[in-house]
Amino acid sequence: MSDPSGGGSNVMVNVKIVGIVIGTLGLYTWVANAIPQVESQVPQELTFTGEVTTGELVAAGEDLFLGAGGCTACHGLGERAPNLRTGDQSGSTIGVRCAARVQGEDCKTYLYNSMTNPNSYVVEGWDPIMPDMRVLLSETQIWALVAYLQDQGGEVTVTGTDIEATGGGEDTGAAASAPAGGAPAQTVAAAGGDDPLALLQNNQCLLCHMLDGEGMQIGPSFDGIGARRDADYIRESILDPAADADPAFQAFVGLMPLTFGSTFSASQLEVIVQYLADRQ
Amino acid sequence: MRDRVRTTLSRPVLRLLTLTGAVGAALLAFLLPESLLAQETIQIPMYGEEFPIIGSRVAIWVAAEVHLLFAAFVLGVPMFAVVAEFIGIRGGEARYDALAKEFTRLLLVAYSATAIWGGILVFGLVTLYPGVWSYLAVIFAPSMWVYVGLFFFESFTLYLYYYGWERWKTGRAKWGHFGLGILLNIWGTIVMFIANSWLTYMMSPPAEVGPDTSPTMVKFWSAFANATWMPINIHRIIANVVFGGAIVGAYAAHRFLTAKTDEERAHYDWMGYVGNLVAIGALIILPFAGYYLGREIYEFNQQMGITMMGGFMSWLWIIQAFLIGVLFLAGNYYLWVGMGRIPGAERYIPYTKYMLVVLVLGVMVWATPHTMIASRAELDAMGGQYHPFLGPLGVMGAKNTAVNLMILTTFLSFLLYRRGNKKITNPHASDIVKVQFGMFAIATVVVLAYGIYGYFPSVTAIVRIGFSVYQVLAVLITIVVVTALDTWLLKGADSYGEIRWGHMPPRSQYALFILAVTFTWLMGLMGFARSGIRQHWHIFEVMRDTSPGAATPALGYAATVISACVLIFFALVAFIFWLGNLADTSTTAKAEPAVIPSEGARGAAGGADLSPAAGDRT
Repeated sequence: MSDPSGGGSNVMVNVKIVGIVIGTLGLYTWVANAIPQVESQVPQELTFTGEVTTGELVAAGEDLFLGAGGCTACHGLGERAPNLRTGDQSGSTIGVRCAARVQGEDCKTYLYNSMTNPNSYVVEGWDPIMPDMRVLLSETQIWALVAYLQDQGGEVTVTGTDIEATGGGEDTGAAASAPAGGAPAQTVAAAGGDDPLALLQNNQCLLCHMLDGEGMQIGPSFDGIGARRDADYIRESILDPAADADPAFQAFVGLMPLTFGSTFSASQLEVIVQYLADRQ
Repeated sequence: MRDRVRTTLSRPVLRLLTLTGAVGAALLAFLLPESLLAQETIQIPMYGEEFPIIGSRVAIWVAAEVHLLFAAFVLGVPMFAVVAEFIGIRGGEARYDALAKEFTRLLLVAYSATAIWGGILVFGLVTLYPGVWSYLAVIFAPSMWVYVGLFFFESFTLYLYYYGWERWKTGRAKWGHFGLGILLNIWGTIVMFIANSWLTYMMSPPAEVGPDTSPTMVKFWSAFANATWMPINIHRIIANVVFGGAIVGAYAAHRFLTAKTDEERAHYDWMGYVGNLVAIGALIILPFAGYYLGREIYEFNQQMGITMMGGFMSWLWIIQAFLIGVLFLAGNYYLWVGMGRIPGAERYIPYTKYMLVVLVLGVMVWATPHTMIASRAELDAMGGQYHPFLGPLGVMGAKNTAVNLMILTTFLSFLLYRRGNKKITNPHASDIVKVQFGMFAIATVVVLAYGIYGYFPSVTAIVRIGFSVYQVLAVLITIVVVTALDTWLLKGADSYGEIRWGHMPPRSQYALFILAVTFTWLMGLMGFARSGIRQHWHIFEVMRDTSPGAATPALGYAATVISACVLIFFALVAFIFWLGNLADTSTTAKAEPAVIPSEGARGAAGGADLSPAAGDRT
């Protein structure tokens, strides 16, 4: 049998192969262009000052919420996290229900704290999957989001004063002044410099741990912890609370934020670890 | 401010950088003004000048992707080259040895291309993203030196392996030669593992590393063995085999289509079959490695997982489903057409239409979007973000069910193909077939039952996700047990006639090209997914991307870049194949006339008939 393939010259074979390769690539490219096109945007820097208007804040917050902030990936469907723009079981939107979420916290404070310390504000029935938004956004951007969420059925009380009070303002966006990727929000998050006591106080560690008789016993006491545990254990517990949790506090281990690894700088973490390890 | 970001490195760090990132640091030193070099510290710019026309991001994208495609080829092919050589040694069948050598010959020029594109990538990073490169070089310096050393060993092992083929062809020397093949794979795998640590660190840096952490403070092993390192290693090993098989299949298809003699045509028909078998066989287990990788990504960072599966990348999986649908259909089509050259296989051909129905339905379910991106009016008309009828098919429960049934169907296709010319003589045949049928039935019921049960309101999401494990286990166990039973069943079987290798219509060979292009494009797409989920971070939540190309592009844009990369790759591969032909003294011309492979050789190949036979060629 001479040529069962029935093929013609090599040139024709090559032309057909090139046609198939280009045709296949063209088809895939066309299909990928025919579906909805969604780009993952970079959060825009905000240069608001104390004179910023409510409308500007709400508009900027809306852009972030629906776009670069990535909020709708979880809060848009109501599957992974509460849908903030539609009613929950009570039928109210977030701007209406925010003030009643935590006793003693007004709507603005609640929303701000929910974004900056999310693991302490997990709504019952949902998983603690929300990151500390200061890793991703600047203070100004967070306040814009707070304003937008308040605007979902409630009164917007965020002002330029709030932004200035938390170190936000012109050119302080996380993206703006990030060095090799550094978000300046980290310095806010880990306020306290290298003073271990200030770091513990400013990061609300004493809400759950006792120190010098103050604080609460939700987690192991810091008093005498150096006699019970070594520095490696303390460091691991801060970075990964569930790794080797004290059995006596196992039930509360989920309350400990998982974000301290990114909240503290390496030197701040070591300062805290040494401070606690020295408390014999 | 954004484009003038500076990273300041102290003198000790610079010394380390100079010692370790030899190429990069030397080039940087060359590029930086003398006034800066004379200072106590050097300010390395975060970004270099923007690359002309296409921009820095696309320039690095293309360099990295084409490099990776060649690297995948040169890592995948040696794996089944040594397997073919082993079969040749054990079975005494010279054709397997010739096949292994031909596989290896393809590697020689591909190695050079891999190294060239690796060089382009490194120089691109050094000049376009010096800040990122410096940061990584400081952390991974030791591994970069090891990488270079192993690449050296790998290259020379390959030269020894190929050029020593004829010299060490018999006796104990042959086993030594086979050992070189094993060594080649070991070097290559370690090299890949090292490079994987750099890129996975960018995805999943250790928890203790933050934006303010100096790279000198990052512990090497903690960065090296990061959360997604091993899942990527495993996924890439399997994917490289798939990819290598597909490219070898395309090579064989081209040689088949341009063959001048029957012997040549028979040889390349067989080679194409082997390439396709390797590719589809490894593809079947690839999704399981994908699940493992996906789970680890979620474990590392829920937000990253959500971005990947439910965020702006959610529609990427629809494209992936479309591509994998093409792969399943083309792979099965090749097998079904191939039955035409197997005497006795015509009795199974009527079943192919039912298998086609299952595959098409599976693709349709898998490609059903879950969340519809729609206008407010469209959302109102639909009554929400889910389509009223199609929405339930878009969830993972339905997709997992569909893909598992597609895998079972493809396995059945292969089983029928393999049995094509076998006249079964096993006295227990009836019982064996009943057990095999029962295994298929049980696996189908398990897959369907868990798929349906997942829709019950009482089943929570986390429980539903766990069902996929049982579905996968049912399919895997069926594949293993049925294959073992089939080997027993076919032992000593008579033949309806030899496979008429070379008697394949040209369209079957073009299907092999579609498979190769699709595999390549799919690799590009998945690479975009892996890299894109970092979004506007060079190193996730550690080093922010403040360059003009920080935003992660939409799928359409990505698809255009991927297609360009695939086109570059195939153009170069065509050139390499052409070079191979130039130097070809014709493996088949030298070899003896095609003969029927021995039973021993078949057994060693796991029962699959991997050899051409020209016994009754017309």
